[in-house]
Amino acid sequence: MGASTVCPGDRLFQAADYAAGSGTYVKGDHIYSSLVGTTRVFDSSLTAQDKRPVVEVLRSGSRAKVPEAGNIVIAKVNKVNPRLASASLLCVNTQPLNDKFSGIIRQQDVRATEIDKVELYSCFRPGDLVRAEVISLGDSRSYYLSTAKNDLGVVYAKSLSGVPMIPLSWQEMQCPETKVVEKRKVAKVN
Amino acid sequence: MGNTKVLAAIHGPKVAENRSQALHDRAIVKCDYAEAAFSTGNRRQRRGRGDRKTTELASTIRSALEHTILLDLFPRAQIGVSVQVLQADGGVLGACINAAMLALACAGIPLRDMIAATSAGYLESTPLLDLNYLESTGGGPEVAMALHPNLGKVVMLVEDAPIAAEPFEAVTELAQQGCRAVAQFLRAQLLQHVQVVATVRGLAAL
Repeated sequence: MGASTVCPGDRLFQAADYAAGSGTYVKGDHIYSSLVGTTRVFDSSLTAQDKRPVVEVLRSGSRAKVPEAGNIVIAKVNKVNPRLASASLLCVNTQPLNDKFSGIIRQQDVRATEIDKVELYSCFRPGDLVRAEVISLGDSRSYYLSTAKNDLGVVYAKSLSGVPMIPLSWQEMQCPETKVVEKRKVAKVN
Repeated sequence: MGNTKVLAAIHGPKVAENRSQALHDRAIVKCDYAEAAFSTGNRRQRRGRGDRKTTELASTIRSALEHTILLDLFPRAQIGVSVQVLQADGGVLGACINAAMLALACAGIPLRDMIAATSAGYLESTPLLDLNYLESTGGGPEVAMALHPNLGKVVMLVEDAPIAAEPFEAVTELAQQGCRAVAQFLRAQLLQHVQVVATVRGLAAL
């Protein structure tokens, strides 16, 4: 089927024959569009167990996005105290956020082992960019984030002299100019 | 709706400003309604925000939109809708809802369906569709209706005065037909707008 332009509420396909992708919703036996845009049908048989082709509606420009539990986010650390580090979320998966959302990394969520011996100030500093997972919607103020995986943690940090540092191990980073070693919970990024 | 002109703007979805109002499983809708002082024939003092009629119109628009937006996609967020009436010539409520729907669709906020609204009245034993200012001040009852045209659901029905059962049927039937016609027009406009945007950005972006 070629791409066609649809409006919200347009009936697209039978829900039995297709799986609903982004920009669509299922009501009763049918899949309906929820956005204005063009339809796209693609085969998902390689990735999912569901053999049905997926239909989605794409719109021009980025779609508004809100972080959800399980998302990987990029956050910038604002404040660090002995019990938690607060950060503001910048991206969800690969999509930049338009609005400000705040998140908290609690002491027990920094790493997977020896969680009671974590010293937050030797894991994060204000200004660091952190790759983290949203573990829950948290309290009414901020999302709870976790860096308790190898690929999560600090991805970009500047040293005291203001130079981006190079990771040495999973808990150390070095400034290339002053050779000062600073402690961070470093993410292993491939 | 004739000469009625309405401007609608969408803010969000963003973190709810008032945290105690935020809901953990869905977004909340905030609606602001304002009438420009120059919107009617005789210029009048601007009414305050807390005015009773303003609040009621805002809450009617809000409830119609709450039934249309897929709110559970944005937990704990807030979607702000502000409508400003620039020129009032009858059917203001309907025009506001239509404008807000178009703004939501352009902002890429997922909707259950299009929403189309219009008004109908009953004057001198004749049902009238889409009353203008003169007709709506004629003293007859007026009904404003909003419809989900594809799902075939009435999401809003507001009467400003009691109507007898018999004309009510005729008037609502007429209003429904009007809503369908409005929906067709809105749909055409929306699709045309998408085409224009797509051409401007280069089709690859769509």
